[in-house]
Amino acid sequence: MADIDAGGGGGGKHKGGKVRSKKGSTRVDMTPMVDLGFLLITFFILASTLSKPSSMTLNVPDKTEKVETEPIKASKVMTIFLGKENQIHYIFGKAANEDPELKTVQFGPEIRNALQENKQKIGEKDFVVVIKPTAESTYKNLVDMLDEMAITKTKRYALVDQLTPDENKLIADKMK
Amino acid sequence: MDMTAMCDVAFLLLTFFILTAQIRVQEAAEINPPTSISGIKVPDTDIMTISLDKEGKVFFGIDGQPNRIAMLENIGETYGISFSDREKKAFSLLPNFGIPVNQLKSFLSLKSDQQSQVKQPGVPVDSTASLQTNQLSQWVFNARKANNKLRIAVKGDNLAKFPNFKNVLSSLQSQNINKFNLITGTEAPPAGWTND
Repeated sequence: MADIDAGGGGGGKHKGGKVRSKKGSTRVDMTPMVDLGFLLITFFILASTLSKPSSMTLNVPDKTEKVETEPIKASKVMTIFLGKENQIHYIFGKAANEDPELKTVQFGPEIRNALQENKQKIGEKDFVVVIKPTAESTYKNLVDMLDEMAITKTKRYALVDQLTPDENKLIADKMK
Repeated sequence: MDMTAMCDVAFLLLTFFILTAQIRVQEAAEINPPTSISGIKVPDTDIMTISLDKEGKVFFGIDGQPNRIAMLENIGETYGISFSDREKKAFSLLPNFGIPVNQLKSFLSLKSDQQSQVKQPGVPVDSTASLQTNQLSQWVFNARKANNKLRIAVKGDNLAKFPNFKNVLSSLQSQNINKFNLITGTEAPPAGWTND
């Protein structure tokens, strides 16, 4: 750049008369940078949890507060027992001591259809579901059942953790 | 080869992952929660997590290091144990734990890599109000004393048995806690289902 052509004189060393400074290439080899980038990506994928867990709210009635309510008629209640090995037993329309028909279904479409059928028989407003997990059932069964309540939009349901002697007998008879 | 474009893509992805990711915390027990269609997200702050693993062991944790220290001080008062500053510091680093109170001091004196090798026996819980056999209710009580805005989340394993969950439930209910969140994975609702 600083070279000023003296013009004419000297040898014919520089063709065209001008001295050009050597232009270095501006391109940088990006390969190591790409390597580093992908290494960091791999690290972040492995070290992170992408999907945030969701949560379902569970409200249980106050134990200390005793509210006298009218007993629900057994004819409008579907009682669901969560049994062992992911089985669901349910009785519908009758109390456990009235010799009801105990049906056994699986999770998935079977229980969903049963819920929807029975709901239609009784009507949306009066239909009550009582969920009774037995000691053999798992936490997954409970959450799945609560989820079914959300899917079938059953608003009135109760979680009861104690089985009556009649109900125990009913399930024991069925399991024979 | 021209690497510029590839470099751009790599760093774009990197930026995306850094911004969306949350670093996985070292949990005391591995828990696979069941899935539900519920779309409510778990809050990040002011949360108390009660985990239930597949063997029925209970783990307990709250967020925020100052809250953890305040909770430990409260627990120390309840059980008549005093913790040193070093133990408080070690405790504040635990995201969750399943250690009975009488073993807590010896657990906290371990180095963090030794801590992760200890097989934690779980926080004792049953349906009574006893100080020794139902320590979970004491932890819950003292955690809420340390931070009264805490919301309660229960995270259970798929294979946890219902009676174990019932114990957790009854020790919460005995303190008049009747509303809590069950942490679940996310699952797509059946076709045609709308939330209204």
